[in-house]
Amino acid sequence: MAELSAFNFRPGSSVLHGLDVRFKLLFLVLISVTSLKAYPVSLSVLTLVLVAALLHAQRSLKSIFKAFRYLIVLLAFIFFARALSVPGSAVIEFKAVSITREGIYHGAMVCWRLVIVVLTGLAFVSTTRPSEIKAAVEWLLNPFPFIPSKRIATMMSLVVRFIPVIFDQARETADAQRARGVDNRKNPVYRLQKLGIPLMRRTFERADKLAVAMEARCYSENRTDPGLRAGLRDWTALFVVICLCMFIVV
Amino acid sequence: MIAAKQLHMTVYASLLAALTAAGAYLAIPIGPVPIILQNLFIFLSGLLLGSKWGVASVGVYLLAGALGLPVFAGGVAGIGRFAGPTGGYLLGFLPAVYVIGWITERTRKRAVSDVLAMVCGSLIIYAFGVTWLKTLTGMTLANTLAVGMYPFILGDALKIAAAVPIAKALRPVINR
Repeated sequence: MAELSAFNFRPGSSVLHGLDVRFKLLFLVLISVTSLKAYPVSLSVLTLVLVAALLHAQRSLKSIFKAFRYLIVLLAFIFFARALSVPGSAVIEFKAVSITREGIYHGAMVCWRLVIVVLTGLAFVSTTRPSEIKAAVEWLLNPFPFIPSKRIATMMSLVVRFIPVIFDQARETADAQRARGVDNRKNPVYRLQKLGIPLMRRTFERADKLAVAMEARCYSENRTDPGLRAGLRDWTALFVVICLCMFIVV
Repeated sequence: MIAAKQLHMTVYASLLAALTAAGAYLAIPIGPVPIILQNLFIFLSGLLLGSKWGVASVGVYLLAGALGLPVFAGGVAGIGRFAGPTGGYLLGFLPAVYVIGWITERTRKRAVSDVLAMVCGSLIIYAFGVTWLKTLTGMTLANTLAVGMYPFILGDALKIAAAVPIAKALRPVINR
């Protein structure tokens, strides 16, 4: 059984779970775009709001931190790249390299904004069912002619479905190889080859089984999707988010 | 039969898009710049699915990223990524996968033609990525190349070398 990754849907009954997907998608775009214009005061407000929303959606602080595990290296890299490259009054100087105050401020701002974007994404993905995402994508692509919106929406929800399957399969294959003593082989090329090719084969075979199963259940592109309904609550939420964004930009 | 084949290709294209997303998370720390497996799977989409379904796979991947699903390198997503410094590489994936697919469809599927296709693909990705990086940052061409291309060439050579045996092992599974 696959361990739930940080970016999986968790059922719940919070306000975020109840909102219309299209509105949530719009909020996602709005908040990501406005965060690019935000400065320390408004960024702190935004962070507090997002963390409160995540806690309300029954996510523990621990699982939020876990989501940032992989991101920390990237953030550190961006921070130092900025700190070293922006000219200004130097704080630390070492030979030709100097870390400037402006650089530190700049780097911190950029990293903070990235954190905001990831928090927003986390709030969206963990409160929205893949089938709802599919319905929203379909609704979004429907007005465009010549785009097979049904098929694209199906593919999108398959992508969301496959990601945990891949990690699950990778762990299974690695376990199987460890049981056969692959640790005794020091050659990294040999080990990658013996891990990579079976892993790819297995995931493709699983995909094949899924396609056969869909076929056996008479999959077709004409099917009923979960209904999208926008109520008073969604419009109120939209109003609140727009106010928040105005506050940030001004 | 045609519908069944189409359904299979739909599922495979989704799987490759998911693998690309997973590859954006896995970094192998060799050398100064970590190797990110993302474009290995872009290459494989072209080699295994051909031009049409390869483009579909990469397009779905990019759309998922634009909508804010966490599928790009470092898990950072959102439409803002296309305007960011690495946006050119992301857009370059689309023509690259088309060309890789186009070349493999017209040659006998041998290692030599695969390598040729992938070299063309990487050149296209760099052409888009470096141009965009240059206009965005205003660096000179030599500087942009030093930041946005030279550090990755070794990694790309390794990825191309890895893609050949993988494609060879998977083609029988797909073209059954």
